[in-house]
Amino acid sequence: MTVLEAQNLTKTYAIGDRQIPVLGDVSFSVSAGEFLVVAGASGSGKTTLLTLLSGLDRPTAGSVWIEGTDITHLSEDELAPFRNETMGFVFQSFHLVPSLNALENVMFPAELRKDPDAPKKAASLMERVGLSDRRDNFPHQLSGGEKQRVALCRALINDPRIIFADEPTGNLDSENSAAILKLMLDLREERGATLVMVTHSPEIAATADRTITLTDGRITGEQRHAA
Amino acid sequence: MPHSRFIFRQLTRSGNQAAVFVLCVTLSIVTLVAVNGFGDSISRSLLRDARTLHSGDIILHAHTPLSRPLLDAAADLERSGKAQTVRIYEFYSVVRSGMGDDSLLADIKIAGPAYPFYGRVTLASGRDFQSVLTPGAAVVERPLLDRMGLSVGDPLKVGEATLTIRDVVVHEPDRPVSFLSFGPRVFVAMSDLDKLDLLKRGSRVRHYLLLKTPEGTDLERMADRLRSVAVPGQERVETYRTARSRIKGFFDNFLFFLALIGIFTLLLSGIGIQSALTALLKEKERTIAAVKAMGGTGRFVIGHYIAVVGILGAIGTVLGLVLGFALQWAMPTLFGGLLPDDLPLTLSFRAMLEGLVLGVMAVALFAFLPLHRLREIKPGAVFRKESAGRRRGLPFYLAAAALFLFFTAMVLWQLEDPRIGIWFVLGISGLILLTALAAAAILAGLRRLPLRALAPRQALRGLFRPGNATRATIVTLGAALAVLFSIFLVEKNLDAAFVRSYPADAPNLFFIDIQPDQTAGVSELLGTAPRYYPVIRSRLLSVNDEKIDRERERKRRRDNLARTFNLTYRDYLLDDESMLEGNSLFRDDIDGLQVSVLDTVVDMRPMAIGDRLEFNIQGVPVTAAVSSIRTRTKESIKPFFYFVFPEDSLLKHAPQSIFTAVRVPKDKIGETQNRIADRFPNITAIDVTQAIADFADIVHRLSVVVRFFTLFSLLAGVLIIVSSVLATRFARTQEAVYFKVLGAKSRFVLTVFTLENLIIGLISAALALAISQTGAWIISVRVLDIAYRPYPGASLLMGAATVLLVVAVGLSASLSILKQRPVIFLREQTEE
Amino acid sequence: MTFRSRTVLFITLAVLAVSAAPALSTDPDPPITIVAMGDSLTEGLGVPEERAYPAVLEQNLQKAGYPVKVINAGISGETSAGALSRAEWILRLKPDILILETGANDGFRGVEPEAVKKNIAAIIRILRKRDVVVVLAGMKMVKNLGEDYIQAFEDVYQTLAADFDVIFIPFILEGVAGDPALNRDDGIHPNADGYRKVAAHVQPYVEKAIGRWRGREADG
Repeated sequence: MTVLEAQNLTKTYAIGDRQIPVLGDVSFSVSAGEFLVVAGASGSGKTTLLTLLSGLDRPTAGSVWIEGTDITHLSEDELAPFRNETMGFVFQSFHLVPSLNALENVMFPAELRKDPDAPKKAASLMERVGLSDRRDNFPHQLSGGEKQRVALCRALINDPRIIFADEPTGNLDSENSAAILKLMLDLREERGATLVMVTHSPEIAATADRTITLTDGRITGEQRHAA
Repeated sequence: MPHSRFIFRQLTRSGNQAAVFVLCVTLSIVTLVAVNGFGDSISRSLLRDARTLHSGDIILHAHTPLSRPLLDAAADLERSGKAQTVRIYEFYSVVRSGMGDDSLLADIKIAGPAYPFYGRVTLASGRDFQSVLTPGAAVVERPLLDRMGLSVGDPLKVGEATLTIRDVVVHEPDRPVSFLSFGPRVFVAMSDLDKLDLLKRGSRVRHYLLLKTPEGTDLERMADRLRSVAVPGQERVETYRTARSRIKGFFDNFLFFLALIGIFTLLLSGIGIQSALTALLKEKERTIAAVKAMGGTGRFVIGHYIAVVGILGAIGTVLGLVLGFALQWAMPTLFGGLLPDDLPLTLSFRAMLEGLVLGVMAVALFAFLPLHRLREIKPGAVFRKESAGRRRGLPFYLAAAALFLFFTAMVLWQLEDPRIGIWFVLGISGLILLTALAAAAILAGLRRLPLRALAPRQALRGLFRPGNATRATIVTLGAALAVLFSIFLVEKNLDAAFVRSYPADAPNLFFIDIQPDQTAGVSELLGTAPRYYPVIRSRLLSVNDEKIDRERERKRRRDNLARTFNLTYRDYLLDDESMLEGNSLFRDDIDGLQVSVLDTVVDMRPMAIGDRLEFNIQGVPVTAAVSSIRTRTKESIKPFFYFVFPEDSLLKHAPQSIFTAVRVPKDKIGETQNRIADRFPNITAIDVTQAIADFADIVHRLSVVVRFFTLFSLLAGVLIIVSSVLATRFARTQEAVYFKVLGAKSRFVLTVFTLENLIIGLISAALALAISQTGAWIISVRVLDIAYRPYPGASLLMGAATVLLVVAVGLSASLSILKQRPVIFLREQTEE
Repeated sequence: MTFRSRTVLFITLAVLAVSAAPALSTDPDPPITIVAMGDSLTEGLGVPEERAYPAVLEQNLQKAGYPVKVINAGISGETSAGALSRAEWILRLKPDILILETGANDGFRGVEPEAVKKNIAAIIRILRKRDVVVVLAGMKMVKNLGEDYIQAFEDVYQTLAADFDVIFIPFILEGVAGDPALNRDDGIHPNADGYRKVAAHVQPYVEKAIGRWRGREADG
């Protein structure tokens, strides 16, 4: 079953009077439970692709379908439930809410949908990632690895069907990278969620179900890995 | 080598905060230039008025004929061309109508032909005064004609001479604003002096010699020389500068208040400058970090930002000077009539220069800290997203100390009274400290507040986001608003005090020495029954058997217990009175005579309920116990009494006269006076119409001026709000984006931000209201000595307007993010 | 009053005083209560109470052996109407002799002399009803008010003195008014030296009043 589909996605940035094409005519689909890696060199357009897929940005042309809904032209408020319940985000630079402590950051999406079990769910997720003792710390009091683990919990608390991850280990040292990656994959596995991850790490790509390689905004390769 | 393109970029891309910064600089300079320029104009016109009021530069005055040496000294000055002189004699005399059957006490004035040196005597006919006042002529005030039933052309007997009334005097430049003149003015020509035969041994005459000196004369030196030959204690030598006048005292108060507003505006603008610059540089932090990462030295960065600040400051300064210049030029139009029309329009370059120097100093001082912080930005900030922590090192304290000194100096210099200046500085420091403490306490309390609902909880959390300057914002806003509200409240109270002092129905005719059995007759003649105040003259002999030390009391500068007091009796409080101690004027538990005292008496000598006061009432010793202490609003011109006895007491039988004050239409005053004087010749009427009208008019115009200058402070306050809200825009936008990414709808984001701004606005407004109410009360009651009203409605409105403004500005700063895709912001965060 | 008659009077009074002196030592009470009623000239504007003429007069009389108490009941600024209004009140002091000095302030305000006359006449009537011996102090007005007015004013006192047979001091400030050395800087109010002279000037009239009072007491 297809949960996510990109149809002829094109993105052009206007800088001054020049049109800079970033993505050109990208189409593919992702099935439920799949782990897709978007690979490519710096500037190949992979992060842009991810923001288009997740509705964080609007394509210049083409459309994005999530679970049979065209989200391309939805308003911000119409997109909100998708972001809250259907998707989870993990960013390279964490993007934790600085005014909330670790636990609160994790709880936040659940609280937004008025989930009465938000504290319980958050606590158990935190325990799962081994951060129980850091729950009251604020983002600026956490290390990079800890931040990313909090971000991971936050992405998962509403049991989203799709997780978008943008270079989740990009700002971490190798030890932390490995740990985060393992956690992410394990959790995905447990929940059966779809994972779309942008990375330029071949090692990570190797663990994915499928890798799409972008070069200068176009799909130049697609590779399925053995399960 | 300055990098001009870098500077240019920073200038063009600084946006709102740069605009706020420039406006703050402009505002501080406009205010200084305008206030100082205005003060200059007023002072000049005052001095000129003072000269007109005395009609000369130097005034010699005595109750006895001027002594030979003094006259000789004056004559010497005249001979050597150092001064012109004119003699003036003033005295009361009973003048009679031509038939000799009607008589009236008149205030005679005989002046030499050079009179007046300054200003002019205006006659009803419009003719020239000296050409009318020829030998045999009399020029009189209108009430004389009314009361004697005479008209121009009729004969008037003054002393031994029979003169002809030639004209009516409408305005006399040196007729002092005096409540006590017992009769209308009659001018007589100097050449008729001997013919009157009124100046002789046994006459009581005020002798004057006025001197007019050429421009640039050292008046004080000349006056000192004359003083050295004057008979001490008998002859007074004054210059128009030193002669005290009530009007001058009033204007001094007014200019003081204006100077305060100027300083407040400067302070507010300074806060605005600092807050805008801090925000502006914070937005540039990443740029600066990048410049540093590329090898730009701290000196390069600071040097260039000083240039940026300097250019922005220069733009503000030029704008300020241009506006200040325009304002000075427009001043006579704006405040039409307050400044004399014929005051030569000289733009006060001194005021402009002062404004410039002070403005630049203020910019430099307030810009120092934000600029200094640039040094703390590490190149690593390019990578880290959090901003550098604010450490308070030596430079911080140095800058704070410099600012403090600057303001202390400013205040001392502007207020020209060190004692008040120091109090003022201490007050402001206390105000800021108090705001800071209160803000900290409130925030600490809020932090502990357990909230279940997500949006309010999130809003509260937002206040404490790391690196967020919520407390600083609240302190800045709170202190600024406190100042602003205080100005507003004081001005409102001042205005109300004046309105209360001179309401449309303020009495204009006072009758004194009415005898108790005449009140019914007076009411009948007046056609109304005014309130009659019994007056019993008395002296205080002792308090609790301790004799009043008359010598010591008289040495006191102000009111003292040794003087004659007017007692009265009644059982009710007057409209402007209230109880300070005791529940009612009199008590049941005191035997014998009791007396309620005014707090003014207690100020002179501590007294408590039950103390025994011994009076000498018209030669009869009387002892009474203090039953209560009253206070009164001191701004009204209503009669008041220090000591009030019960209506039904011994005092009722004491010799007394009765006093009343009524309002009579202007054209009926002479007639009314006549009617009363005809039937009750013992009653003296005092007409204060003109004095009050003039004064009320001036007061009204001044309040317009104060409002105008308050506007500057208001503008500075708004700029501070804009700037402090803009300063947190970055953090808010970030949060808005996160909320959206996590699936929040715009309503949630709006709710959170509205609540957050609401909390900031509410705390600031509440603090400001609390402090300004206290401050305005202290200024009103302690400094200006007027009654204080809190104006709760207007205060709440101000508070609400503030909150609304904070919320609106806050929202407008974050609204744009709601409709846009979050990536725009995320990209700024991660790429670039 | 001629010089001779004045001398005779003085001697008479002196004899009376001497003869009264022993009585004082044996029977100090009650002293004769003299009330000086008047305006600022009596109150002593600007001088301590003990330097105003009533206090000085008291000292002088006591030194001369009279058992007197002189109460200063002067009120600055008071007009004759004011004085009339407190005539009853003053009786609370139970005066035996009253020196009435009023009218100057009426003059300064140009009050009709006829009104002044009526007021003073009323005061004298009240006092006489209570058998108070009245010493009326005459007042002269400042020259600048005009000859007609001044004359009418002075006549008031002359007429009253004649009508009521009171002891009359033609001008209480005799020899003091107009002398800068004896007056304060305002040129109106006597200074301490001035009051010494006023007291000395007033004394014989008061002694005459004492004599009259004693005569009355002896009769009664």
